[in-house]
Amino acid sequence: MRTRLVGLALSSAVLTAVAGCGLSGADTSDDQVDITGEVKGTVTLQTWALKPKFTDYMQGVIDSFEAEYPGTTVKWLDQPGDGYSEKVLSQAASNELPDVTNLPPDFALPLAKQGLLLDIDQADDKLREEYVEGAVASYEFAGQTGVFGYPWYLNTDVNFWNTELLAKYGLDETKLPTTMEEMVDQARILKEKSDGAVHLLSRKPGIEDLNQAGVELVSADGTEFIFNTPEAVAVLDLYREAFAEGLLPRNVLTDAYLGNMDLFKKEQVAWTTGGGNSITDIAVDNPSLAEKVIASPSIGTPSLYTQGLSVAKNSDNLPAAVALARWVTNTENQAAFAEVVPGIFPSTVASAEDPQFSQSDGTNVGDAKKIAFTSLAEAELLKPVIVDQAMDDFLKQQFSLAISGEITSQQALDKAVEKCNELLNN
Amino acid sequence: MKTQRWFTPWLLLGPAVVWLLVFNLWPAINTVVLAFTNAKPLGGGSFTGLANFERMLNDDQLVYALVNSIVYMLVCLPLLLFLPLLLAVLLEKKLPGITFFRTAFYTPVIASAVVVALIWTWLLEDRGLVNGLAQQLGFLTEPLPFLSGRWLLLFSAISLTVWKGLGYYMIIYLSALGNVSRQLHEAAAVDGAGPIRRFWSVTVPGVRTTMLLVSVLVTVSALRVFTELFVLTNGTGGPGGRTMSLVMLIQMYSRGFTGHLGYASALSLLLFVITVGPMLLLLRLNRKAA
Repeated sequence: MRTRLVGLALSSAVLTAVAGCGLSGADTSDDQVDITGEVKGTVTLQTWALKPKFTDYMQGVIDSFEAEYPGTTVKWLDQPGDGYSEKVLSQAASNELPDVTNLPPDFALPLAKQGLLLDIDQADDKLREEYVEGAVASYEFAGQTGVFGYPWYLNTDVNFWNTELLAKYGLDETKLPTTMEEMVDQARILKEKSDGAVHLLSRKPGIEDLNQAGVELVSADGTEFIFNTPEAVAVLDLYREAFAEGLLPRNVLTDAYLGNMDLFKKEQVAWTTGGGNSITDIAVDNPSLAEKVIASPSIGTPSLYTQGLSVAKNSDNLPAAVALARWVTNTENQAAFAEVVPGIFPSTVASAEDPQFSQSDGTNVGDAKKIAFTSLAEAELLKPVIVDQAMDDFLKQQFSLAISGEITSQQALDKAVEKCNELLNN
Repeated sequence: MKTQRWFTPWLLLGPAVVWLLVFNLWPAINTVVLAFTNAKPLGGGSFTGLANFERMLNDDQLVYALVNSIVYMLVCLPLLLFLPLLLAVLLEKKLPGITFFRTAFYTPVIASAVVVALIWTWLLEDRGLVNGLAQQLGFLTEPLPFLSGRWLLLFSAISLTVWKGLGYYMIIYLSALGNVSRQLHEAAAVDGAGPIRRFWSVTVPGVRTTMLLVSVLVTVSALRVFTELFVLTNGTGGPGGRTMSLVMLIQMYSRGFTGHLGYASALSLLLFVITVGPMLLLLRLNRKAA
C-alpha cells in the first residue's frame, strides 16, 4: 500500500511536470492598453552593463526624471554584459519583464511576437516626429503591427586604414577603394609587395555584405529568404577568387583567428572596420598605430546598430514606464550620453545638427566620428532581425565552404536559403 | 521504544529524491517531450509528431557531426585506454623526484579546458608557435592548416583531449596498480617473463575492471566532446561547420531567443541513444571476458 502510495505520488509529479514542461502558450492578443493616467509610483528600468562606468550618468538621468515627475521612484536594475539575453529570456518566460528594458531589435522581435511589448507607435504620437526614421524602423517587424521600442543610441561602421602599411606597400591613402572590386585589386598589390606578410582583407563576408551590396534578403512580407540571386553569387565569387589568390588569411574560413580588428592592431592587416570611436580603442592597445590611422566611409550601405528601450505591455505602471523610456531617450539625455560614451550617437532628429557630432575637430578621431555620424543618415540594419543564431551559424558555414572553393557560391546560397526558410517556418 | 515510522526512510531520502526529480528526471522527460514539438524558448510550441526525426534524415550537418563524434571516440578510446596505463606503470616506480612528474602530468587536468584550448589555438594558428618553429627549422615551407583544415582540426582537438585526459586516467590507473599483486610480477619474472610480457599477462588483467571503467568514461566524454572543438574553431564548427561534434550541433540549434528547442531535443535523444549503445556493449564484453 505504502509503495503504491509513493508510486502514485511520484507518477502524479512526473505527469504534472510533463503536462507543463516547455509548452506554454503565448499572449499574442492585440488588446489596446491604457497608458493614460498620472505619472507617479514605482517603475523599474533595466539596462545592460552600464554600471559602474556610467553609473553617474544614469543616476543623473533617473534623478532628473524623479524631479520632473514628483511621486515617481525609479528602481534601476543593471544587468552584466554576459548572459543578458538569457536573463531577459527568463524574465520574459516568467512574465516578469521590468517596466522599461534595454533591448536591441533582435531581442525585441521575439518578445514583440509574444505580445509582451507595448506598441510605442500607439502610445506616443510624437515618436516618428522626434526620432530618426531608420532607428524607428529598427523596431518595426514584418508581420507585427507597431514599433516596439524607443530608439536609444546608435552606431555604425566606418573603414579604418593603416596609412603606414599602405604607403610602404605601394598604395595611396588618397585613392582608397570605394568598391569591393577596387578593394580586391589593392589587396593584390599589398600582398605582392609585402610578399604575403600583410593583408588588406581579413574577414569573410556575412549576410550583411550581401545587403550592403544591394541584394534583397527577405521577401516584402518577411516570410521568406530570397538571397540566392546572381548578385549574391557575384559577392561570394569575389571573395572566393580573392581567397584562392591568397589575398585573405586562411583562418578566415573558421574565424579561428584574432578578428580583423585585432590583426589590424597588430599591424598584420591594413584595413578594418569599426565604430566611429575605434581609433581611441586602438590607441589603448597600440598608441603608435593610432596616429597613423585614417577613416573613410563604409563601402555600400552603412550598417546600423541600434539600442532601444522597450516597455513591457503588462507593466503595472504604464504611464510612468512610457514617460521614463521617453525621458531616457530624449534629445538632451541622449546628447549627454553620447558625450560620456564617445562613439555612440543619438537617435533623435533634433541631434542631427548638433556640432558635437556633425563637425570634426581636425584630428583623425574627430574625422572618424564625423564620417560615422554622417553615415547614419543612410545606415540600415544590415542583418534582418529574423536571422536567428542557428541561421547565422549555417550562413557562415555555407559562405565559408563557397569561399574555400569546396562548393560553388550558388550551391552555398541555395543551401543557406533552404535552411533559413526551414528554420524560419519551424 | 519504536520511533521509526514507514516514512522515515523517505524523509531521509526526500531531499536527494527531490533534487533528482527536479534537476535530472524532469529535464530528461522534458527533453523527450520537446523532441516531438517545434518548441521555442518563448511561446512554447505544438506537437509535431516525428517531424524532427524526419528532419534528421536530411540534415547534412548531422552526418558530419556524427562522423566526427564517432571518429573522436574511436581515436580517443585506445589512446586514453593505454597511454595513461603506460604512464601509470612508469610513474608507479618509487624513484627520487617521481612526485614532480606525477604532478606535472596531472596539471593539465586541473587547468580550465577553455584556457587550455585557447593556448592551443595560439600554438596551432598559422603564425603560431608550432608552425613558426617547424618553418624556422625547415620542416615546413607553408604553415599547416591546423585550425582551418577539417581533419587536421579534428585531430588537433583529439590531441588536446588526449593530452588533457592523460593525467586524469593515469591517477585512476595508479590507484588500480596498487591492487595488482607484486608477488604475481615476481613469479612471472622468475618464470622468465620480460617487462612487456609481464605488462600484458599480469598488469593488464590486474587492472581489467579499471580499464572497463576508463573505457566507459572515455567513450561517453568523447561522444559528448564540446569545449575543445568549440574553442579551436571559435564556435564555428570548422570550415563549413564540418568539424562540429553532435553536442556543438545541439548547441547551435538551441541557442538564443529563438532557439529551435524541439530539434535540439531530438538531437539530444539521438546522442543519448548512441552514448548508451557503446556503454552497453563494453559492459557486455566485460561480462563475457569475466
